[in-house]
Amino acid sequence: MKKLILLILAVFLISGVALASELEYYKVYQPKAGMTADEIMQIKYHNKYSLFGHDYRLSKCTILYVEKNGFTQKKEAIRERIVLGGKNGVSYKDVVVLTEPTQAKGLAVLTWTYEDPNRDQDIWLWIPSLKKIRKISASESDDSFMGSDFTVEEASTRKFSDETYKLIGEKNFAGYTFEYTGEVKYKGTPCFVIEATPTKSPWYYSKRIVWVDKETGGNIFDEYYDANGKLFKTLFREWNIYKPETKGYPKQDALECKDLRSGHRTVILNQDEAYDVGLSERNFTAKTLERSKW
Amino acid sequence: MRIRVLIGFIISVIVVGAAGLTQAEVISNFVDKINPFEKLELAGYLKNETAFGFADEHDELQKFKNAIDLKGNYKLNDSVEFYTNINFWYDAVYDIEGRFNDLTDKVKKSQLTMPEDKHIIRELYMDVYTDAVDLRLGKQFVVWGTTDGVRILDLVNPLDYREWTLKEFSDLRIPLWMLKAEGGITKNSGLQLLLIPDYEPNYYPPADAPFALRATVIGAQATPGVTVKTIENKPERTVENTKVGLRWRDVIEEGMFSGLEYTLNYLHTYDSAASYYVAVAAPPPVITLSRNAEQIEVFGGSFSKTITKGLVGDFGKGWTLRGEFAYISNGAMNYGKDKYNDGTEDIEGTVDVDQINYAFGFDKTFLTNWQFSTQFIQLISKPKEEFDQSKYTLLFGPTRGPLDKFENLITLKVSTDFIHERLKPEVLVIYGDDNDWRISPKVSFEVNDNLILAGGIHIFEGRPQHLHGQLDDLDQIFIETKYSW
Repeated sequence: MKKLILLILAVFLISGVALASELEYYKVYQPKAGMTADEIMQIKYHNKYSLFGHDYRLSKCTILYVEKNGFTQKKEAIRERIVLGGKNGVSYKDVVVLTEPTQAKGLAVLTWTYEDPNRDQDIWLWIPSLKKIRKISASESDDSFMGSDFTVEEASTRKFSDETYKLIGEKNFAGYTFEYTGEVKYKGTPCFVIEATPTKSPWYYSKRIVWVDKETGGNIFDEYYDANGKLFKTLFREWNIYKPETKGYPKQDALECKDLRSGHRTVILNQDEAYDVGLSERNFTAKTLERSKW
Repeated sequence: MRIRVLIGFIISVIVVGAAGLTQAEVISNFVDKINPFEKLELAGYLKNETAFGFADEHDELQKFKNAIDLKGNYKLNDSVEFYTNINFWYDAVYDIEGRFNDLTDKVKKSQLTMPEDKHIIRELYMDVYTDAVDLRLGKQFVVWGTTDGVRILDLVNPLDYREWTLKEFSDLRIPLWMLKAEGGITKNSGLQLLLIPDYEPNYYPPADAPFALRATVIGAQATPGVTVKTIENKPERTVENTKVGLRWRDVIEEGMFSGLEYTLNYLHTYDSAASYYVAVAAPPPVITLSRNAEQIEVFGGSFSKTITKGLVGDFGKGWTLRGEFAYISNGAMNYGKDKYNDGTEDIEGTVDVDQINYAFGFDKTFLTNWQFSTQFIQLISKPKEEFDQSKYTLLFGPTRGPLDKFENLITLKVSTDFIHERLKPEVLVIYGDDNDWRISPKVSFEVNDNLILAGGIHIFEGRPQHLHGQLDDLDQIFIETKYSW
C-alpha cells in the first residue's frame, strides 16, 4: 500500500525534490545563454515543483503502466498543492487522492516537503479499507514507485545537491516519438544539454544527460546510463505554457518513462490543470484526508 | 460432499474470473450509462473466499463465502454529500459440510451464513462540510489510534469475531449509528466529538462454528442435571446511555518535533466485549449467565513521527515511530479456574478491573524494497476488588484461560513486491509471551485493474488457554478472488 502512495506522489512530484534555494518563490524564471549548468538546473527544479505559483489543482491525472506486449494497467488521481514559500521551513504541501481503479479508490496522501535538502518529506496516508490515517516512511531512493519505471528518487526525493552538473552545450533536440500517441515531439527544439553525475557511488546510474528546453526551462528528456556507460532508461516530459493565464507558468502535460532493458514504460497524462485558484492551507491537513471515502 | 465443494468453487472462480477478464471499461461504462444521476458515483466488487482447514483430524472446508459489495456517493454540492456501502454475503460452508447439519436454520441464518440483517448496510451517512466543522451523521465507522491489528484506542466500533480476526479489518468492524463532528481549532489541530446512541456487542461464533472461541465451547458444555440460561443485557437507546467520544489531534509544524502527530482521546462507552455474571439457583440447579455491557471510561492518546532528518548523520532517517496507550476504567472481568486444566467450574465470579494497554510501533524500508513493520504491545489488568488470588486468576475473555497481570505481544509484518508490484508477498507474525503464535504468509496477484487473486496460510500454535493456541486445530489455507468495478 505504501508503494501505491509513493507512486502517486511520484506522479505528481515527478520532478524530484531538489529546491532551487537561490531562486525566489512565486516568480517565473527562464534559462538564458551564458548561465551555468547549476543555474539552469535550479530553474529546472523550480519549474518541476511549480514554485512559481501559489497553488495548483490537477483535476485529472491518468497513469498508464504498459508492458512490452502492450498489456496496460491504469490509475487515475486528483491533486492539490499549496506553495508555502518556506514558512516554518515548509516549501509546499500536497494532497493526492486516487480515483481509479476501484480497488485503490479513495486512497489519499498528504505530503509536506521541506526546504532543507537534508530533510525527507513527512507523509500521511488515508487508507480507506482501514478507515484510518497512517504515517509512513519514505521509500529507499532507488526503489521503484509502485511498479512504475520511475524510481523514488526520480519521482520525489532527488535533490539539487544529489548531483553535480556540467554544461555540455546548446543543441537542437533530435525529437522523441511519444509512444502513447505516436507523435514526434520537440524535433529541432533548442536545448541546453547538461551532464548530471550522482554524488552517491556506486548508484543505479552513473550519469544522466538532461535536455532542458530553452523556452520553458523544463527538462524534456533525460538519458540514464549504467556503470558501463550503456543507456538503460529514458524519461520524456512534455512541457507547455499554462493558458489562458498570461503569467507564463510552465507545466508538465505528459511524461513517458521507458525501461530499455525490459521494454516496460510508464505514461502520465496531466489533464485539467489550474494555478492560483485560492486554495487554503487548511485543506492540507489530516482532517481533509478523513473526508475521503470508499 | 467434496465434489460439491469443488464444483461450487469452480463455478465461483469462473463467474468472478470471467467478470475479471472482461474489459474494465466495458463494465465501468455500462454502470455510468445506466446511472441517471450525474452527481452519483458508483463502485463495487464481487468476491469469493474459500478456506480449508488442514490440521490433523480437522481437514474440512472452513469457508465458502461469496460477497457482493456496492458503494455510492451522491454529491449534492461542495458542502453536502450522501454515502452508502451495502455488503451482502453468503457462506455456504454450513450447507456443504455435513457436521453442520445439526445447526438450526435460525442459527445458520442469524449467526453464520449471512450478515446480520441490520448490517447489510455497512455505511449510510450524510456529510456536511463547513469552514469550521465537518459533520458526518449516520451509520459509520470511526477508528482511533496508530496500531495495526491490535485494539488499544480503537474501541469505538465493536468487532465481528465470527472468523476470528482473519477477515480484512474493514469487514471486521461492526458499524454504529452516530454523529461525528470534527472542528478545526488551529491550522493543523482539531477536536472531534462523537455522540453514539447505538450499541452492539462484539459478535462471536456459536459453539459449533469453525472459529468458535474456547470460552463459547466451554460455556456450551452441559453439566448433567444443571440448566444454564444466558441473558444478554444491552444498554437501552436512551439519552443517558449515549456514548460520548472526544479526540484532540494536532500536527506540530515548527521546531524539533515538526511533523509529530499526536492525539488525546476520551471515550465514555459500553464495553462491547461485555462480561458474564454468574448466578446460581437451587434446587433444581440453574445457572444464569448474564452478559452485561459494562460502562467504561477510556482515557488515552497516540503519536506518530517519521524521522525525516538523521539523528546522527543519516542514522535513523526514514524510521517511523508510533504508539498509543489507553487507560480503561470501570471495566469488569471474570475470575476463576481454568476448567481445561482441572475440570472445575471456570467462572467463579466477576470483579471490577482497570486496564492499562499500550503499544509501540516501528516501520522502515530496508534493502531497497522490503517494508518491515513491528509492534510491541503490553496489556495490564489490575483488579479493583478483592478475590482469592491464591486459588483463582482473572480469566481471559475469549478462552477463559488464566490472564496474567502483564500480557505481552510482538508483531512483525514484512512485505515486498515483484513484477511491477502486481505480485505482492507478505508475512505477518504475532507472538504472545505464553509461547502463543500466529504466522500468516500471503501472496496477492493483480491479474488486471479489476481482478485480484490472493492466497495464503494461517498457522496457529500454542496452548488452548491462549489467544492463538485456542485455534491450534484451525490452521487454514485460503484463496480469494475479487473483481471490482
